[in-house]
Amino acid sequence: MKAVILAAGEGARMGPFTASVPKVMIPVGNRPLLESTVQALVENGVRDLVLVVGYRRERIQSHFQDGKAFHARITYVTQTKQLGTAHAVAEARPHLDGPFLVLNGSNLVDGRFVEDLLGSGGKPAVLITQSERPRSYGVATVEGDRLVAITEKPVEMISNLINTGAYALDERIFEEIDRLAKDGKHDLPSAVSALAQRTPVLAIRTEGTWVDALYPWDLLRLNATALKGTHEVRSGTIEPAVTIRGRVSIGDGCVIRSGAYLQGPLSLGPGCEIGPNAVLLPSTSLGKNVRIGAHTSVANSILMDDVILGPASVVQDGVIGSGVVARAGLLAAAGAGDVQIEGEWHAVPQLGALIGEDVEIANGVSVAPGTIINERARIESGARLRGTIPSGAVVL
Amino acid sequence: MCGIVGYAGRRNALPILLDGLKRLEYRGYDSAGVAIVGSGLQVVKDKGFIANLEAQLPPLIGSTGFAHTRWATHGAPSKVNAHPHIDCTGKIALAHNGIIENYAALREKLESRGHKFVSQTDTESLVHLIESYYEGNLEEATRKALHDARGSYAILAIHADEPGKVVGARNESPLVVGVGPDENFLASDVPALLRYTDRVLYVMDREMVVITPNDVSIQDMEGKPIHRDPQRITWSLEDAEKGGFDHFMLKEIHEAPKAIHETLLGRLANLEVDGFLSQGVTSVKLVACGTSYHAALVGKYVFEEIARIPASAELASEYRYSQGPSERPLVILISQSGETADTLGAAREARRRGSKTLCISNVVGSSLTRETDKTIYTRAGIEIGVAATKTFIAQLVALYLIALKLGQDRGALGYDELDRLKDQLRSLPRAAQYVLDRADEIRNLAKKYGNARDVFYIGRHANYPVALEGALKLKEISYIHAEAYAAGELKHGPLALVTPATPVIAVAVQDPTYEKMRSNIGEVSARGSPVLAIGTEGDKELPKFVDDVFEVPNLPWVLSPVPVSVALQLFAYEVAKMHDCPIDKPRNLAKSVTVE
Repeated sequence: MKAVILAAGEGARMGPFTASVPKVMIPVGNRPLLESTVQALVENGVRDLVLVVGYRRERIQSHFQDGKAFHARITYVTQTKQLGTAHAVAEARPHLDGPFLVLNGSNLVDGRFVEDLLGSGGKPAVLITQSERPRSYGVATVEGDRLVAITEKPVEMISNLINTGAYALDERIFEEIDRLAKDGKHDLPSAVSALAQRTPVLAIRTEGTWVDALYPWDLLRLNATALKGTHEVRSGTIEPAVTIRGRVSIGDGCVIRSGAYLQGPLSLGPGCEIGPNAVLLPSTSLGKNVRIGAHTSVANSILMDDVILGPASVVQDGVIGSGVVARAGLLAAAGAGDVQIEGEWHAVPQLGALIGEDVEIANGVSVAPGTIINERARIESGARLRGTIPSGAVVL
Repeated sequence: MCGIVGYAGRRNALPILLDGLKRLEYRGYDSAGVAIVGSGLQVVKDKGFIANLEAQLPPLIGSTGFAHTRWATHGAPSKVNAHPHIDCTGKIALAHNGIIENYAALREKLESRGHKFVSQTDTESLVHLIESYYEGNLEEATRKALHDARGSYAILAIHADEPGKVVGARNESPLVVGVGPDENFLASDVPALLRYTDRVLYVMDREMVVITPNDVSIQDMEGKPIHRDPQRITWSLEDAEKGGFDHFMLKEIHEAPKAIHETLLGRLANLEVDGFLSQGVTSVKLVACGTSYHAALVGKYVFEEIARIPASAELASEYRYSQGPSERPLVILISQSGETADTLGAAREARRRGSKTLCISNVVGSSLTRETDKTIYTRAGIEIGVAATKTFIAQLVALYLIALKLGQDRGALGYDELDRLKDQLRSLPRAAQYVLDRADEIRNLAKKYGNARDVFYIGRHANYPVALEGALKLKEISYIHAEAYAAGELKHGPLALVTPATPVIAVAVQDPTYEKMRSNIGEVSARGSPVLAIGTEGDKELPKFVDDVFEVPNLPWVLSPVPVSVALQLFAYEVAKMHDCPIDKPRNLAKSVTVE
């Protein structure tokens, strides 16, 4: 069986973290989100994958290449216009025959999730799960084990069963997609709802893992979930008097200086340098080539590739994009904050700083909880930040 | 420079040979051929790409044979000059990679004894020579023939009366053995074998090898057996697939950040660079060919700036024939493949002169690494596109690391300076990514500037060699005439060529020569040339002087060659793509040049 993975979207609600990478390539647990989907499929013997790519597709292609490193065979289909999920599946049509799976590349899933989907035995099916915030999703109306309809972001409470965006389908779906396209509708849930009018579509409740990130702070939850599976790996150079507790994965070529205190679950990518007496607390991921200065403390955060955090800094519950350089004494501790994403305000109970790629921060900057610093901004010494700093801005 | 692959086993040889050959196509592709022993010796060859040969192949049956893809050195690319070559009896077939230097004398002697030659190649003399020595044992005859021949070679030979046996020999051209169960392989390079086995052993210079389905025996030129154990190859063919990119070159340009990461990995924090020791080094000479030579030229500026040590760069093909003055610099030899004939020759010459030698190579266990005292590997991964891209970037990174190490050990850098430079090196993957994220901008610039017949590149200082490399890339893959000049030299001649029809690509990043560069740009724009500048992000002045600016991140000038090179690589790629050129296999070129 083949699987289509939808990976063309930008993920605009992810704020600065999709400035140059598609949402599916945001790292959680030190690997791109999309890897969890690919791995879950491969674990279940689904190795023939069609990736529908679009926004910044080069990032996906350079990482996954032809799929062999992931024990899969990957074909790329470019969706030139991001019209909708049904349109994306239709773009993959020339590569499909017989029943196939459709998954969303930006969710964190496990092997059990795919196993449940395969449970339909090749018949059309949708995977559903319970959610605490059904209004943000497509809600499934179900009779017995059959899907009646999927209602997108309902105003009224229908149920707390939501569509995970994972389907088992066959060529019949293309008739529905073509029909809806004529009315200018290009979303897959509408096509699946229409299909359910004509032929039985199973609604399968999954017991597996399915975690979705709507907003940047959700990444911390996904990161913590992903890090639960951390394996202990010791690589590189660990100087004397380093304390390592819990499950900590240390990549090739890392150097951990004397006096550092590492409490797992933690994942350190290859080539990181952790300064003397630095403290890394759960659940934190450091990408490749990250340098943490002396006496700096990082807790429950994602630091992407090539981040440099100078000495005597504090980062809690933060997401820090690739290539951010912060000199000495950055204070980005967590607390309750109000965050504005795409014009909407969200009250987040526990959050630190959200810092986009290649931001430069000079000495002694303090950042209020929930502050967003967009990509390539430059912050001068001693600044105190709150709210949203636009991309490329210079803050004196 | 050619590619060869041989097989002795139980399976039908033809599909295995063709598959292997395609993976060697990067080594040359003006003609191709195959020889198989089944019921007698069968040989098919033709001019052109391997696909061309494949299209006209009859179903050849037999489980012993070899195939060859040629890059012409002696004799034009043609069917008759294509390998394999056969002897007068039609029983011996030979494929050869390299040059037989005394072929004219051999040919004259053999012709006087009645041998009939059909081609203009140096190789044909060797097959007739083997024939003249043949007394029922192919390896004996080959050994005797090679005693008479002078030059560089990797050869494969088969005989109609000895099915199940392929004889190989090597001198200064690469040859590896692939070891499988019930089958063995020979090839110019590992990718040809990877689909079938991950156990290989390298044949050394002046060695012969005989493979049969169950045995591999290596011997010296006197026939004395040599024992060698196979090594396991850890990389795989996956590296060799395009993964959704239109060309290997584009895929490889996009791998620059990864190549930088890998090359820095584990070396930066404590400056442990593969055990390289800087004791006693008082000056540095960098020696290389082609793109690697451009890296060497950048290296000169890097060593002088970071390590404050006298440094010079020289072409390998010139260095090896020059008079060595009395100084004994550390000689750094740079070659992606580690098989470049002139660079290998230069390494031997450097040692003869009593210099310590260090090589920068991308291929583990390559010939150059065995010819030098110390090796620093660029870990860029396999590169398939003939135009070097990510490996050039990785070479620059290796040079920075060596310079930093020298600077630290010589006390040329203070602790704070060293720390700052290390952090700046850590930012290089991002600097490359910054350029890649703006590929669309470069595509538009390529549309605007890519229709010219001649393009000039100018740069100064560390970015002068970067301009040379940018021009080389454009020449190689788009076939547009491009020349690079040190911008200060324009008024000494090249300005005469500058007209409104010749766009100028100027590297004008913030470096010590920025002001001078601006006046040089003035010199060309005054003559009507459209100017595309590669400038530093946030430079508000530059756009006033030029037609277009592509910005690279603000880095210390010594590191700016990395993002600028990525930009110029992408520019050349986009121009070539616009003109529909065969980007991964430009005409007349081969990936690693193992002939002089």
